[in-house]
Amino acid sequence: MADFLNLVRNENMKIYRRVRTWIMLAITLMIPLFIAIGGLSLDDSPNMWFYSRVDIDVTSWLITTFAVVIAADIVAGEFSGGTIKLLLIRPWTRSKILLSKYIALLQFVLFFLASFFLFSLLVNALLLGADDGTSILPADGKWRNPFAWLAAVYGFNLIEIVVTVTMAFMISSVFRSGSLAIGLSIFMLLGGYMLSGILSLVDKPWVDYILFMNFGLAGYVNGMTPIEGRPIGFSLAVLAGYYVCFIALSWFVFNRRDVAS
Amino acid sequence: MEEDSVLERHRSGAEPVVRLVNVTKRIGNRTIIDNLTFDVPPGEVFGFLGPNGSGKTTTIRMMVGLMRITSGEIYIAGRSIRTEFEAAVRQVGAIVENPEMYKFLTGYQNLVHYARMIPGIGKRRIDEVVELVGLSARIHDKVRTYSLGMRQRLGVAQAILHRPALLVLDEPTNGLDPAGIRELRDYLRHLAQHEGTTVFVSSHLLSEMELMCDRVAIIQQGRLIDVRPIRRDAEGTEKQEILFEVDRPDAASAALGGAVLRTESGGVVVSAGREEAADFNARLVAAGVRVYGIRTVTKSLEEQFLEVTGGGPVG
Repeated sequence: MADFLNLVRNENMKIYRRVRTWIMLAITLMIPLFIAIGGLSLDDSPNMWFYSRVDIDVTSWLITTFAVVIAADIVAGEFSGGTIKLLLIRPWTRSKILLSKYIALLQFVLFFLASFFLFSLLVNALLLGADDGTSILPADGKWRNPFAWLAAVYGFNLIEIVVTVTMAFMISSVFRSGSLAIGLSIFMLLGGYMLSGILSLVDKPWVDYILFMNFGLAGYVNGMTPIEGRPIGFSLAVLAGYYVCFIALSWFVFNRRDVAS
Repeated sequence: MEEDSVLERHRSGAEPVVRLVNVTKRIGNRTIIDNLTFDVPPGEVFGFLGPNGSGKTTTIRMMVGLMRITSGEIYIAGRSIRTEFEAAVRQVGAIVENPEMYKFLTGYQNLVHYARMIPGIGKRRIDEVVELVGLSARIHDKVRTYSLGMRQRLGVAQAILHRPALLVLDEPTNGLDPAGIRELRDYLRHLAQHEGTTVFVSSHLLSEMELMCDRVAIIQQGRLIDVRPIRRDAEGTEKQEILFEVDRPDAASAALGGAVLRTESGGVVVSAGREEAADFNARLVAAGVRVYGIRTVTKSLEEQFLEVTGGGPVG
């Protein structure tokens, strides 16, 4: 087990020893700063909890995009860099090597989101002033603690990011070029959002089973579900279905592939 | 001497480090590798020779588990690469084509990366290997800044880090300068002789293989054509073909008489031992023939190769 953790450490080293990772993190963390400054100048009584919610609502797509870049590159990048050959001739099965990459990726997503969460709260508390937050909680009285309420918003965002990143991971495992995998993943991401906008106008039941139609889980803290008339459990089940397919395909392709180039 | 010890190992029936049994690789309808069978005993430098596209790289990739074997079996130190991959590949160190490393990491971080993947490789072993390949001065620089020669050294370092029983090199001299090639060659022979490492090296450069290997296997279009030992002698009393480069081949031929095998433009070829050759030279000079050069005409691997492969496709 300790040996396997070494593989994860290796993958972490390959993520965090790259400058691009820290540039992406820095860019992301600037956004709460700008939003708080904007709030100070435009809003009469800016509330730190309200603005923290704005931060994640505004930035989740960017966090997703950056996480997708890491995910798309983590396998395909080894192919385009040629390093996959030296990586796979170690006494580890391909499944375990892929798993170490996937775990490192999930750790990165958690680290990224947690950093953003804490930084956003801190910036808003410092710039906008601390507040007990009761004024911004939904009126239905289900939430008493603004921290728990915000954490739930992040939790729902985390689910969506993990599903999206797993899709990018699958693309990464299927395609042998890092840049192609990154491009294709971002295209799927943007295309998916656009498509879901158009398809939401179509009144057919199959539309509800499209992956991106079931994003927007965070609205649930305010009593909304991604698809009107469908319970949140439906959307979660659809996402879980896609997730299982992404994982299965990633491992299937990676285990079978001949490393030829 | 060396050849004898290799033969000795053959006879003593030591378990081969590499054993290919009826290995075949098909992609679609094309048969890339056709029924390869051969063994490599421990401690041998084994050359795998063939023109580009003959299937050398495919065979090597199957040996290290990068490609699937369509049928047949490959054993590394007695373990099947298919069914006991982890145990088999534990014995292998490899440089598959150009050593491609993580360019955004330092040389040292690259080695730490590979060291972590095999239990029991500590900092001391990494330092030892760095010292061995002569990279100490630059090991903490990013690989991005390395020259090809330095990357090659780092490639060797990662391959020998875990003291593998078998070192596999695919076209290792590609892109190396002559000094680098010489260094690599000496190093491989050192590993084989002093550490007992078996070296499996592929190349399309015949002259290289001749200098490096104990035996070579020649493959063409995915088929094994021949496995033969490399002769390593050229000294002694044995008669050899010797070429005298002269200004007037006809006059030289007349001066040397019956010893002449043939006359070429610019020289004569004679059959002579070491001492005889010196005498012939004196006779030529005495006869007023100007001698520009004397060298032995050995049948190079290249000629043997062309002889065996017939220079064309094999049916």
